[in-house]
Amino acid sequence: MKRKSGAASRKAEKKNPGQPAKVTIRKLPTGVRGLDDILGGGIPEFSFNIIAGTPGCGKTTLAHQIVFANATVKKPALYFTVLGEPAMKMLRYQQQYSFFDASKLGAAIRFINLADVVLEQDLNTVFEEITKQVTAIGPAFVVVDSFRTVVRRMAAGASEVEMQSFIQRLAQFLTSWQATTFLVGEYVQEEVRDNPVFTIADGLLWLSQVPERNSVVRKLQIMKLRGQASVPGLHTIRISDGGLQAFSRTLGFVRKMSSPSRRRRLSTGIPELDKMMGGGIREGDSLLVAGPSGTGKSALASQFIAEGIRKGEPGILALFEERPRGYTDRADSFGLNLKTPQEKGSLEILYLRPLDLSVDETMQEILDAIDRIGAKRLAIDSLVGFEMALAPGFRADFRESLYRMIVALTGAGVTIVSTVEVEDTFTALPFSHYAISFLTDDIIRMRYVEIDGQLRKIIVVIKMRGGNHSKDIREYIITDKGLVVILPRVTQYDGLITGIPTRAGPRPPQKDEPAPEPKAKK
Amino acid sequence: MIRTIGTRDLAERLIAYEARTSKPSKKTGPGTNFSPFEKLRPHLATLMGNAGFHALLARACTLAGPEVAWLREIKVEADGSLEGLGKLESRWGPKAITEGKIVLLAQLLGLLVAFIGEVLTLHLVREAWPKLPLDALDFGRGNKNET
Repeated sequence: MKRKSGAASRKAEKKNPGQPAKVTIRKLPTGVRGLDDILGGGIPEFSFNIIAGTPGCGKTTLAHQIVFANATVKKPALYFTVLGEPAMKMLRYQQQYSFFDASKLGAAIRFINLADVVLEQDLNTVFEEITKQVTAIGPAFVVVDSFRTVVRRMAAGASEVEMQSFIQRLAQFLTSWQATTFLVGEYVQEEVRDNPVFTIADGLLWLSQVPERNSVVRKLQIMKLRGQASVPGLHTIRISDGGLQAFSRTLGFVRKMSSPSRRRRLSTGIPELDKMMGGGIREGDSLLVAGPSGTGKSALASQFIAEGIRKGEPGILALFEERPRGYTDRADSFGLNLKTPQEKGSLEILYLRPLDLSVDETMQEILDAIDRIGAKRLAIDSLVGFEMALAPGFRADFRESLYRMIVALTGAGVTIVSTVEVEDTFTALPFSHYAISFLTDDIIRMRYVEIDGQLRKIIVVIKMRGGNHSKDIREYIITDKGLVVILPRVTQYDGLITGIPTRAGPRPPQKDEPAPEPKAKK
Repeated sequence: MIRTIGTRDLAERLIAYEARTSKPSKKTGPGTNFSPFEKLRPHLATLMGNAGFHALLARACTLAGPEVAWLREIKVEADGSLEGLGKLESRWGPKAITEGKIVLLAQLLGLLVAFIGEVLTLHLVREAWPKLPLDALDFGRGNKNET
């Protein structure tokens, strides 16, 4: 259901002046970062929902988070515990999360144990006990955790019709009492078709854990939500000290895209390279720097970020391989001070190396950092390290995920330089393993060549989507000034990009030619 | 099980408060009822069920047993109530009975602190005794005693 703009809704009202306005369903915040967007704005008020999934997915934590985010003395919550986790243990563990607010217990959130009733009585008595408590307290939120155990316990003595009638009555009663309800239960997906509770429910939030090799990733799916459009598909969730956080698979696409009317050219900090690129990287572009190990990709990325900071454009370094300390120390050796801007807040270094990351989490981290410091430049170093940091399940979709990430990040107004390590071959000039060249606006390729008994480095601009660029193959060195392009177009060799060029002209006289790189002297 | 000096202090206050404010049972006379436990029982049973409260109180009795001999003769009923105290007072005397109740209540509070922490334990106590001032109470002061 698309939200109409103000003008559109006014137009619609004008068309039907005599008709009464349709009901507005209030959307309640879940307190779970990212989940409201996935739900299409929040949980519909007075809805009857199920939080389902296998053990350990975070169902109870989700229910608590919603309750703690919403319950007040005037709009209290009733949390019925049944045969699953006793309230005492629930309180013991849930108070570890930062959302847990002990001052809400009692007046705003009441825990009531239904285990005795469920064990000793029938469905009617369970229903009566719930209605008694709800009538007495008038809660705005009701949770039954675990509802599955109520049903399982009762199923032995009740017919299917009785069970359906119980669920129907419960849903009817709680909705009539203006309670937004959550039934928490351990279900498997095969039950969705036959279990009446899923038919009656307005919302079905399905949590799961997906093992992949040694990694486990938690996922969330909104299988059903009446009255509003949720984001379909499986979304990654993570449970940390703050509780659940959800990462929509469309994260970043819904942000307001900034598209400057006239794009500037941003300097890389390497004047000769800027010239080769027709003046620098076009603002808002994504540049891929590809080359084998040791060719200076990280140096180029550091120079790009440092140049931005020098010009008052805050930057982010997202590192997936090297530790920040080593990275800034090396930048120091090029005369690039990355430590002071970090202290002053114009540079943020994100070091992301867990082995079960999702692309969406990474994107969220970067988007948060962009918002924090107002970043204009981003260097991702490197894509190979990024892929390694992902949970195996996400690596299969790396190309697609990278596409989403680059679109989202450039949409957030940053200019991106990503590095990717490629192995040099002597028959081809690959740009990356991922066939992602179509994702990037610009490509720079670096490679080793054998010239006069030396392993030298050449650089070439392969592609600039936003304009013309130099076709020259240029030699460069890495000095204490970083990456420096030293020589004009190399004309005396053929086959440079093969890595084994052949001399096209006579060899100029050479007197003990010094090695072009200072460090090669040692 | 860890019992802090704070739980003992709180137990003493609750027993003294109950002795001042609760009406003595006609059958047993002053000091012999278990009113602090009776007051806590519905609050805890709401949270953990009667069976849960029974288990917790039985554990507290076991932990207090080495300190208070007469507690070994007390029976925790299925609903979490304590039976048999009236008969014991004539044998043990009111002073020993009161001391035993303090130890038992301190153990019960100690268990709650161990499971749900000091904040929530005090929250429960405040629910059961809303008029009892607890401001000066400090679970953290003093050394912790392992029992």
